[in-house]
Amino acid sequence: MSLLSILIFLPLFAGLIIVVLPSSVREGYKYVALAAVIIQVLISAYIYLHFNGNVFTGIADQNKYQLVERLPWISLNLGAMGKLQIDYFLGLDGLSMPFMLLTSVVMLVALLASWEIKINLKGYFALFLLLDTAILGVFSALDFFLFYIFYELMLMPLYFLIGIWGGVRREYAAIKFFLYTLFGSVFMLLVIIGLYFSVTDPATGYHTFNMLSMMDPKNYVEGSIFSALAHNELFGVSARLLGFIVLFIAFAIKVPIVPLHTWLPDAHVEAPTPVSIILAGILLKVGGYGILRVCVSIFPDAAIQSAWWLGLIGIVSIIYGALNALAQTDLKRLVAYSSISHMGFVLLGIASITPEGISGAMMQMISHGFLSSMLFFLVGIIYSRVHDREIPHFRGLALIMPKFSAFIMIAFFASLGLPGFSAFIAEAFSLIGAFNSESINGLLPRWMAVCGTLGILLSACYFLWTLQRMFFGETRLFGGEKWKIQLTDVNAREVTALCILTAFALVLGIMPSLAFDKMNASVLELIRLVNLK
Amino acid sequence: MSALITITILALLLLYLGLFKAKKALLPVALIGLMVALVLSLMEWDSNAAPIFSNMMLYDRFAVAFSGITIFLTILIIALSKDYFERISSNVAEYYALILFSLAGIILMVSYHNLSMLFIGIEIMSVSLYILAGIKKRDFASNEAALKYFLMGAFSTGILLFGVTLIYGASGSFDLEGIKQYILKDPTAVSPLLYTGITLLIVGLSFKVGAAPFHFWVPDVYEGSPSLISAYMSTVVKVAGFAAFLRLIMFSFAPLQDFWIPMIIGMSVLSLLIGNVTAVYQQHFKRMLAYSSISHVGYMLFAIIALNGSSDNAVFVYAAAYSVATIIAFGVLILLQGQVGNDSFDSFNGLARKNPFLALTLTIAMLSLAGIPLTAGFIGKFMMFSKALSSYHIFLVVFAALNAMIGIFYYFKVIVAMYFKEEDRKELIVPVYFKLVLGFSALVTIALGVYPDFIASLI
Repeated sequence: MSLLSILIFLPLFAGLIIVVLPSSVREGYKYVALAAVIIQVLISAYIYLHFNGNVFTGIADQNKYQLVERLPWISLNLGAMGKLQIDYFLGLDGLSMPFMLLTSVVMLVALLASWEIKINLKGYFALFLLLDTAILGVFSALDFFLFYIFYELMLMPLYFLIGIWGGVRREYAAIKFFLYTLFGSVFMLLVIIGLYFSVTDPATGYHTFNMLSMMDPKNYVEGSIFSALAHNELFGVSARLLGFIVLFIAFAIKVPIVPLHTWLPDAHVEAPTPVSIILAGILLKVGGYGILRVCVSIFPDAAIQSAWWLGLIGIVSIIYGALNALAQTDLKRLVAYSSISHMGFVLLGIASITPEGISGAMMQMISHGFLSSMLFFLVGIIYSRVHDREIPHFRGLALIMPKFSAFIMIAFFASLGLPGFSAFIAEAFSLIGAFNSESINGLLPRWMAVCGTLGILLSACYFLWTLQRMFFGETRLFGGEKWKIQLTDVNAREVTALCILTAFALVLGIMPSLAFDKMNASVLELIRLVNLK
Repeated sequence: MSALITITILALLLLYLGLFKAKKALLPVALIGLMVALVLSLMEWDSNAAPIFSNMMLYDRFAVAFSGITIFLTILIIALSKDYFERISSNVAEYYALILFSLAGIILMVSYHNLSMLFIGIEIMSVSLYILAGIKKRDFASNEAALKYFLMGAFSTGILLFGVTLIYGASGSFDLEGIKQYILKDPTAVSPLLYTGITLLIVGLSFKVGAAPFHFWVPDVYEGSPSLISAYMSTVVKVAGFAAFLRLIMFSFAPLQDFWIPMIIGMSVLSLLIGNVTAVYQQHFKRMLAYSSISHVGYMLFAIIALNGSSDNAVFVYAAAYSVATIIAFGVLILLQGQVGNDSFDSFNGLARKNPFLALTLTIAMLSLAGIPLTAGFIGKFMMFSKALSSYHIFLVVFAALNAMIGIFYYFKVIVAMYFKEEDRKELIVPVYFKLVLGFSALVTIALGVYPDFIASLI
């Protein structure tokens, strides 16, 4: 059993321990979970330190993945169709390794935020850890079927976490989130099956779900539905383009892009703080990661063909998300819309298919993972104290919560792209990629980069305006004196979580090479693969 | 073949036990007897399958697998019957005997090699079920169910029989092999009588499995019959009907695919649409299960549409997944009806808090029926979708995928009620037998979902 399997199944194991523990030690559950997540952080830090980005370039070559684990899992005999071979196939490269660390850290923060959960602790922590397992699995699976299983496995715990521990309209938010994501993934399953019938494993000759085999045009069966040479058409569209679009939509719902984003504000508003942190911090990144790992790598020809549209969707998400954020009065909704806006940069960077753009997109996902977690954590602090987060209900918070306000200023300034923080590097690189694209590969016109810059401006507007409305001026609160007493400043646990996140945002902003060095070779390899077509 | 003999003798034995007032012994004897039958039938796994009894039956792997699964499911259902029949009447031995007689008919249905045996099997099964549907003598719904089931059943058997005679008229044979040889001799110049015969046979069998547009009896009969019998009908009987259907088509009619595939596609689409859309609007759990069972027939028909050597495998996995999950659902339903007296979705409110075990098993069952990964239902759906896609029925699969989404919506209603809605309620008392069956079925569902190899490679 490799380190990777241990990392993935450690949370599951801890979750099972919590399930069998008697409820008399109810207060101990969170410490079991905490222990598991801390070990997880240590393992992923170890993996990070021992990861050689120049050797393990990954993408389409199994030998260039680190910590590879490949065991036969399901082999069904399908008679005339040969054998259904599904492997338990894991590995890390420069694209997935950063997310392992991100997941571990964000999970730690989310767990620290879970101290506020008071009801049904056993179920909560068990589901939390199950979710952790599923997310780590998604980022390391290299067999498409396994990837799908983990991808779907993320849904169930989240559905219950929102539905049981959520706000007033939790039922609606939970089923909306569930059906939206499932809508994408059901059709993704069909494309997976289609790919399966198109691709054979060069070693065995059987059809395979191996993603790496799917990336090599040589492995496609002649005349099969997704073969690049056959030029098959489905419903009047090129089959490969259609496959790309279906997979893209599945992941884009997760990202989310405008107009498939409407589940996100609802889910965020109704979800408890830790779940919001996980949603924004990690789950949105699954979408971006999926687009890179699956859509672009398996259908590079279609990716180039639709790059312009991807860029456009990115721009629309940036601007539309930012404009919506400006109009919100609920602080959590504002942060949710800002997430949509910031994730637009990811799409823009990917669409440029330049080293700067894709590195920028990766960086934006990592940076946004830390910063959005921080924002939701901060919103959660206010909400847990007075159960209100309407912006107009607060004024002059800086006077009564100085430390809290300091953190929120850091988070706001970092998110709006102040130099010195990770978001600046990330957005700058995505925009450079988009800007250079016209001269390098001609995929994106320059005006898209210009519009993206507008997004940064808008994000400065809504963040600074919120800062002004809620934190500056004389203290005036909707709840009066009662709120003044309830709004205590951040405690040690909260400071710990916030400091972790601040540190990451700052370190990545000052020394972005810490991340770029690990993933650069993989990004270049990905671009080489795409340009082969 | 020894399984069939064991089951028949077991049924007679139970009647005698009832005669001598050994009521306590009925359930254990029935269970043990069925387990013996299961073992005996599995022991014939690798025997050289040749038609027996003057080519009347063929106990091949297909027959072993499907009689194995039907016996296994019957064991689960009978284990749920503890104290169930006693509430209806004091003469319980007859009920057990009837279930076993119908099981004997089912064994014939999955192992026939001659159309007359198919007819006899269906009749043995159906006649027992007509009675079982109406055992709640004083209950209006139960009487209605029995009458409806009888009329529809008799009607469909008539159509079936008409089809059999037409096929005999064309091919001069009742024997599956004989019919196949007749078709193979010159597939282009087959007598039109045969086509009519095939159509009528398909219609007759569709009645039995409850595929749309021949599904009208399903909701009323399932709802009106005692829940335990509904469980039996929607699992064992359905699986058997499907096995009979598949056997006929795989064995004899495969060369005439072009003729019957459009018909089956039409039925599949209609079953999916009617089953799913109507299920969304149901307020009662049992009726929802009835409509959802229609939609599952739609998925199972995929295996026939994309007919090849592994169709039996796909149907087997799907049927096993569907049946085990359905048994959990009906098990919970029986408890709920017995102790709350209502099965609307609202009566599930807050169940998770008082009966976490029941809620968990029912959740697993619903997830499996909805086809969520890591449950058996997902593997079943996955196999069906792969089959249909491998034969390029893309429209059909896209349509089915949309329907799967609708399915999730109504299956989740139950989960929402149990977990998200709070209500003060009394804890349901769960007898030991129920705990065993529900826990075991839930385990099987998860195990099949995580590691489907051990069952899927059976046939």
